[in-house]
Amino acid sequence: MSLAKIFSLSSRVRAAGANTVLVRYASSGKEGQVEKVYPPNIPGYKYVNAVDPIMAFKEMSDRAAQTIFWTELARGFAVTLAHIFKEPATINYPFEKGPLSPRFRGEHALRRYPSGEERCIACKLCEAICPAQAITIEAEERKDGSRRTTRYDIDMTKCIYCGFCQEACPVDAIVEGPNFEFSTETHEELLYNKEKLLSNGDKWESEIASNIRADHLYR
Amino acid sequence: MSLLALDKWAKLVTIISQNGGIFKSIYKLWRFDTLKWNGKLVGTDSLGNKYYENPYYMLGRSRWVEYNDYVRWDYDATQITPEWYGWLHYKTDRLPHEDPAKYCISCCAWYQKWMLPPEENLSGTELAYYPYSTVRQHIQVWDGKSVCSRPTPCVCK
Repeated sequence: MSLAKIFSLSSRVRAAGANTVLVRYASSGKEGQVEKVYPPNIPGYKYVNAVDPIMAFKEMSDRAAQTIFWTELARGFAVTLAHIFKEPATINYPFEKGPLSPRFRGEHALRRYPSGEERCIACKLCEAICPAQAITIEAEERKDGSRRTTRYDIDMTKCIYCGFCQEACPVDAIVEGPNFEFSTETHEELLYNKEKLLSNGDKWESEIASNIRADHLYR
Repeated sequence: MSLLALDKWAKLVTIISQNGGIFKSIYKLWRFDTLKWNGKLVGTDSLGNKYYENPYYMLGRSRWVEYNDYVRWDYDATQITPEWYGWLHYKTDRLPHEDPAKYCISCCAWYQKWMLPPEENLSGTELAYYPYSTVRQHIQVWDGKSVCSRPTPCVCK
């Protein structure tokens, strides 16, 4: 279809106001075909685009009256007034909080076994998989001969909270806990070391265990 | 009744009386920015925060916490204990004493030996965490002395 034809078609629609002219063009001389109406009037479908205003005299004078007497303005004020007395849709944080998933990936924590022994065995899988390279691990043999980390640093400002570390961990040691309210005033405070991660785990263990239990069928 | 919105005024009076009179309501409104209706007290955590529920409100507003009076206006979201965190965030409908995982942990003496009490976000205070190295230095910095000028360490004892 040439550009000129498109322009002529659209101008004809605009000039006619109603769509009867166009329909008559489209359906003329073809019997047995379904007549195409614009806007389409199919049951089960709702036409959502803007419909051309009706150009009957009564409709036109009604629109003119609305403009002259500013009734839209008054109706707008009425909507504002009504919303003052409605229940607000905003959450009154920090007294009310929004829904979270048990799989939410927030602040990191290092967990312990029920006996109090730290779980991390310094396999460095989390360090290897970390796409942001935010984890640094150094390991040494402990006095009792077990392999443990001496350094477990996470740069929380590098971390992208993808959760690969907790998926890579074979002993469920590093987890992304539910806490997201760990914002700090300085950058340094977000460079977590092993002690900080372990103390996070010690504080949040009940919630972390509950989340893991909620998800145990999918693991 | 409902045409003159009298039921709304009746509800306002109910809310004020449930919050303990006009002055207590103003105090609560000042502290919590809102007054709630028909809150059912479901529990209190170890820091003295009270947890309420009223399913009349929409999800996200139906559970709320009233922070301990002791903290006044210094309330913070991190003062909510981990035990109540999941319930307040609609992760679970089970209260902490009904959640099997939390119940087991609170009953187990092993856990109680090493678990730490909840702590609010201490950033900006003197108690804030500041990073430090957890390993011994591999490289010793030269102190500018030679073997001759360095005093010999006392080995008498």
